[in-house]
Amino acid sequence: MSELLFIDSFKKRRTDRVAVFGWLVLGLFALSAVFAGFLAPYDPSAQSRSEPSAPATRIHFSGLTPIIHPRRVEDPLRRTYTEDTSVAFPVGLFVRGYSYKLLAIAETDVHLFGVRSTSGSAPRINLLGTDQLGRDRFSRLLYAVRFSLIIALIGLLVACLVGISIGGVSGYAGRLVDTFLMGATDAMLALPTLILILGVRAAFPLELPMTRAALLLLLIFGLTGWAEMARLTRGLVLSFQKREFVVAAVALGVSQTRVLFRHILPNILPSLRTRAFLLLPTFLLAEVALSYLGVGVQEPEPSLGNMLTAASDLDQLRSQPFSVLSPALAVLLFTLGVRLIGRSERAY
Amino acid sequence: MIKLLLRKCLQGFMMILIVSAVTFALLGFAGGDALTQLRDNPQISAETIEHLRSVYGLDQPLPIRYFRWLSGAVTGDLGESTYFRVPVSGLVWTRSVSTFLLGTAAFAIALTLAVPLSLIGIRYKSRAIAAFIDLVILVTASTPRIVLALVALAISVRFTFSAVDRSSVILFWLAALALSAPLISAFLAQFHGDLQRTMREDFIKLARAKGLSEKAVILRHAVRPALNPVLTLAGLSLGGVLGGSVIVESVLGRPGLGTLMVSAVRARDLPLVMGIVLFTSTAVWLGNALGELLQAVNDKRIRDLGF
Repeated sequence: MSELLFIDSFKKRRTDRVAVFGWLVLGLFALSAVFAGFLAPYDPSAQSRSEPSAPATRIHFSGLTPIIHPRRVEDPLRRTYTEDTSVAFPVGLFVRGYSYKLLAIAETDVHLFGVRSTSGSAPRINLLGTDQLGRDRFSRLLYAVRFSLIIALIGLLVACLVGISIGGVSGYAGRLVDTFLMGATDAMLALPTLILILGVRAAFPLELPMTRAALLLLLIFGLTGWAEMARLTRGLVLSFQKREFVVAAVALGVSQTRVLFRHILPNILPSLRTRAFLLLPTFLLAEVALSYLGVGVQEPEPSLGNMLTAASDLDQLRSQPFSVLSPALAVLLFTLGVRLIGRSERAY
Repeated sequence: MIKLLLRKCLQGFMMILIVSAVTFALLGFAGGDALTQLRDNPQISAETIEHLRSVYGLDQPLPIRYFRWLSGAVTGDLGESTYFRVPVSGLVWTRSVSTFLLGTAAFAIALTLAVPLSLIGIRYKSRAIAAFIDLVILVTASTPRIVLALVALAISVRFTFSAVDRSSVILFWLAALALSAPLISAFLAQFHGDLQRTMREDFIKLARAKGLSEKAVILRHAVRPALNPVLTLAGLSLGGVLGGSVIVESVLGRPGLGTLMVSAVRARDLPLVMGIVLFTSTAVWLGNALGELLQAVNDKRIRDLGF
């Protein structure tokens, strides 16, 4: 188990600073995915119609306490806002807000930070501004990371299972099956995957309920993402078949399945694990691409891809590029983190 | 040489046949076509839909429909797009020009960056250059195309101050740059690595012993053997470029094959989807074949073996 969870490799490479940075980034992603409800100050789908496409809330300081001012729309067409500096609300830690389930069990309404108010109606603090419906972009980003990561992880798992089975069969079965399966694998690797994914997607209705859309994504990933794992597994199985301990096991009359599962699989698992880990960004990007194109995860569920559709609002993109592109930055950080870890895995 | 060509043709033909059959079967089994949406329209009776189904041949069993489609495809007739109401083949051809230009520009950018950089890295064995090459590989490999395309869009709206001019030359090169990022890392890693391996070979020692200058050793003796894997890689990355063009074109609003595919999927325009899948897989096969042919031109051993 410790091997599966990378604990061994982490101990070994503690000195590799670049990889440590990668692990830190991924740890941050894992934390924000697990504690999205706690870290997000607002419900990701709660709209605030009075402040659509608002820029990030400015945080002022009164002494040492951070405060914010309520804001009003000045020009609804240009979407400019003015702050009402006569009133101030303090920003505090562990503020009560909407209720959510911590770790999917404990129901609570405490959030890491939020705006305190004595009268009951506090202005909202939007670290990354709001989208066209006035939803808090920071909260949506946290939930989007959770949702996209879950889809990518399960998609990767499905694709790995398909790929390892196909590769194992190909390496173990006769020449004819091998030629056919590897021909299919090579074709799959060369073909434009995104176009194939879209082709498969075209077979299903455009608008789907959330769970069915997620299941469909997983099905598509399983159908189109297996080729790399299949090729790697086949190569490894073939190389281990010639090793003495496998030959000895076969000579002792151990059954084929037992040889495959007890003698070969444990030996090739570390290589498979590393490659699978390196493939994780591919699946995240596939989700991002599909949702961006409007055929993946659909509103109101936030995902990294469908949050990026806000970039087609060119006015907002010009006035607040950082906020609008923050999901893209998250994707970039994630791929970079995985790359950095992968680089040190390969270097050793 | 002819044997090689024949083998490649047969392989490509099989691949295209299988891909088109699988896509067709998936689209057929999942049910639903452009007529499914008409059912929700109360003004259109069930009889009309049944009539339309028989007009378009959609009431026939799947293998017969595939056979019809295939025999049409062989003669260049891919049917009519149910959304655009024009022949698919014409639509795909016209849209592919823009994608072809973008893809060519991306390949050009990647090669003009990767080849000279690798050569400089080999010629001047400095740690700074090696570190720089490493950094370029890392950055270009881990920046996804969608991120680059969005940044390109943000830059263009930032600096034009009016609505984005979709036909601007700068935007074209930004799009090509976004499309080329993974190519840069792939080519650079492969070519630089291969050059390093080649430089340790005995014939390089011989060339040096003959008294050739280091420049001549690299250009005349090392480049040629190191070039073959890059040619294979270039052929293989065509699929990635075509897939990436879907994203880059959609983000930057360029009408090409990628955006056509997206609108086909959104409209559930199955003839168009099939047409694009067929066209792109043929293009990928042609790219692979071209890569291997160039290898044969580059390496006499491959030519003679006829592999």
